Amino acid sequence: MSDLLRDDERDLVERAKRDPRQFGALYDRHFQQIYRFVYSRVREQTAAEDVTSEVFMKALKAMPRYQDTGRPFAAWLYQIAVNAIADRYRTLRPAQPLEDFHDLSIAGPALDDLAAHRDEVRRIWTLVESLPHQQRTALVLKFQEDMKIEDIAVAMGKSAGAVKLLIHRGVTRLRDEASTLRPVE
Amino acid sequence: MNSYHDPELEDVLQDDELRRVAAMLGTARTPEPPLDDAFRTDLRRQLMQEAWAMSDGRNSWWRRAFAPPGLAWAGAAAGLLLIAAVVVYTSSQPPGGLHQVIVQSPFDGNRSVALQQPILISFNQPMDHRSTEQAVQITPATNVTFSWDSNTLAVQPASGNLAPNTQYQVTIGSSAKTASNKPLATPQTITFVTQPPAAPSPSPSPRPTPSNALGEKQLSPLGGAATLTAQWSADSSSIYFVDGKGALDVVSAKGGAIVVIAPDGVTSPSISPAGDRIAYIRGGKIEVLTFATAKTEEATPTPAPTLVGWAKDKLVWAAGDGVYAQGDNGQTKIAPLPATETSKALSIAPDGAHAIYQLDQKLFVLDLGTGKSVEILQASATFVGWSPSGTLLLYATPEHLVVADPLGVTQTSLPAGEASWSTQDAILIGGDTDLFQVRPDGSGSTRVSNGTYHSPLWAPNGTSFAFVRGGSLWVGVAPLLPPQPTAADQAGVVVKSFMDARLNIQPDLATTLLDDSGKKAYAAGGLSLVITGDPRFSRYYVLTQEVVGTQPDAVRFVVRLVLTHGKIDVTSYEETLTLVRDVTSKSFLIDAATAGPHRDLGKGAEVVSVDVAADAIKVTFDSDLDPGTINDGVLILDSKGKRLDATASYANRTVTLSGLDLKEGAQYKLVVLSTVRDVLGHNVAAEYDLDVFGPTVKKHGSHKETPSSPTPSPVAAG
Repeated sequence: MSDLLRDDERDLVERAKRDPRQFGALYDRHFQQIYRFVYSRVREQTAAEDVTSEVFMKALKAMPRYQDTGRPFAAWLYQIAVNAIADRYRTLRPAQPLEDFHDLSIAGPALDDLAAHRDEVRRIWTLVESLPHQQRTALVLKFQEDMKIEDIAVAMGKSAGAVKLLIHRGVTRLRDEASTLRPVE
Repeated sequence: MNSYHDPELEDVLQDDELRRVAAMLGTARTPEPPLDDAFRTDLRRQLMQEAWAMSDGRNSWWRRAFAPPGLAWAGAAAGLLLIAAVVVYTSSQPPGGLHQVIVQSPFDGNRSVALQQPILISFNQPMDHRSTEQAVQITPATNVTFSWDSNTLAVQPASGNLAPNTQYQVTIGSSAKTASNKPLATPQTITFVTQPPAAPSPSPSPRPTPSNALGEKQLSPLGGAATLTAQWSADSSSIYFVDGKGALDVVSAKGGAIVVIAPDGVTSPSISPAGDRIAYIRGGKIEVLTFATAKTEEATPTPAPTLVGWAKDKLVWAAGDGVYAQGDNGQTKIAPLPATETSKALSIAPDGAHAIYQLDQKLFVLDLGTGKSVEILQASATFVGWSPSGTLLLYATPEHLVVADPLGVTQTSLPAGEASWSTQDAILIGGDTDLFQVRPDGSGSTRVSNGTYHSPLWAPNGTSFAFVRGGSLWVGVAPLLPPQPTAADQAGVVVKSFMDARLNIQPDLATTLLDDSGKKAYAAGGLSLVITGDPRFSRYYVLTQEVVGTQPDAVRFVVRLVLTHGKIDVTSYEETLTLVRDVTSKSFLIDAATAGPHRDLGKGAEVVSVDVAADAIKVTFDSDLDPGTINDGVLILDSKGKRLDATASYANRTVTLSGLDLKEGAQYKLVVLSTVRDVLGHNVAAEYDLDVFGPTVKKHGSHKETPSSPTPSPVAAG
């Protein structure tokens, strides 16, 4: 985020802290990314709508207590979302298979590389689902949401070092499990 | 894939294999999930209701005074609490407290208000509804209805939505009274600007895939046929196919009984371009069945035919020594094939200009006009099919599908698979696990479905397709590929960058979007690239856009620049920008620019959007109009100033002039006379003229150019 955008967001946040009626601008700015993240985790539209509503309603009510730590406002929203999803995961599992969600057809660096890699990429992301919850969340925020480590740390309520460790463990486990599943060539 | 590099993870991903896994994780991109816009809007409304309630709670002195402390604090702290209550009451009340009526709105000062919502106005105390509603004045003139929720008034435009690209001023006059009959001390005004009109959605947003999203249907077992040899009927209603016994059968695409046309020994079925006949080879003869008469004619060419097809409704076939056509005086050899037993003709192009043959495991393209052949210089290439016009061909290598011209020159490489090229210029690629669609240029790759889709075969309608699964013939319907960006879309991006750079006073950046001619237009003595002074340049929007040329592509935009004094938009003027696609870079640059006169705002209805089609022009105003002033007030003139016959209709602030027949590229003038009045009886301040051109229609791949539509542009300065 550029300094200009950061200043602009800081201004929006300050206004919303003073007057909750200004929260709409923050909602407009962040709805899409939070909804997309939530959907990617719960993979069912109604559930995604429920969780997204919960995230923004909690954020609105907590705005007066929000402290600017120098990280993007979105990191705080992700934190609320991560917790809301975790609450939901305690009783529910994703409804839709992962391979239906990660759109491998438009993913690759070049069209003709896709055919070669898409199965492997799909398999890796399927394996992500079998990782422990914290590792899974860290990997999704890093590689799917493209967040910085410091922001993931805010979202997960951990230190940056702990997040790196989670990512390292997650990627290592994926490497090990992927190698056992790799077809004989 | 091992080139993954992320400084943040450098210290934890030191192993090549770990980096490879990380690279793959970063490869999958998340598509936009299914999203119900109504949910998004509804959640926003709920949040705003909650926000207003929180705000009311904050400002409620008695809550502040009495809520937090419990009874335990009552005794000794009572005095302190009383003091605190007084302090809080005093500090939390607006100036004047409840003696003064405070009017607020979440829209106030907003420069990008969505169109589909009422204007919310909140008061700090209960109001007398009737006097308050009567005291509401809206500029521009707008018919509205009112509703109340506690102390919040919702002002709903009667036409349904707010006008696009419009600055609204909503004033609560001093005749508004509180429920206790106190008047407002002074009129209070909220000001906001609305968004551009929504762009038409090119395709419905994706939904979770239902179990049979493609409407797949099993039609018939193929009886052990190794490959699919099939042809769709010209109207896409039925499929002719050869089963494992060599019988030519036909089945409706809706399913049902299978009709046998020829019982055995059939190869190379081919429907005539008109769809009235089917030719096939059987027993060394060519048989041609005419559907209307149900009669089959036979021909016995020599040497024996190996392949039959059609070239512009004329029967053509290949034999061991060449390609033949049926002439008035019998068969004519139109091109020879190499005189060797290992050569075999594979296909004749639909335009009859080329044929494909195989020789010693190599593919050759034979020019039927010159008799010369060109070899496809790819090992293990197999022929897949022709483009609908026959001017390009598709062949497969073990690694790729290749789109090539008849000289064998590769145009595009696509992922490997079994493929079919549709009349809508979409290539369907199937196989054991997936079904993809992609444009011939490689763009728009979209996964249609998971599963087994062998030998996909598009129907002529470009939406249905046949395929083989589990040894049976199936049909399904594939969604259309999303449209390619049009020339107008691409030029619109440049206009937005140009105007944003000017708005942000970045002349160097703006200049990079001008060609030499455009630079002259903004040189000294010409138009101002940087607009300074008071009133200040605060926002812009695209009033209309039109494709005005195709060789090279040229798009004309009319951009309205709005100048603001304080918070109020006071004047505007229009710049007409013509963008031309640079032949070398293929990018659009601004080639010409002119500016129109300044118009004062807030003095009668203004045009805020113009949409030009060949048969109708839609003119959207910022105000509700007196419909009686439309017919002779909104006109379209030809280049000689003669009024064109048109039927004017009016609904929801939009005047539609229909029944037009605008000629491509011809110049016209849209005129709004000052006789047009808004619902408050104000005339348009001054006649408004806008040059428009008959729309140009150009085909871009599978997507036909939309001749003209307003481009939404986020436009406001901060």
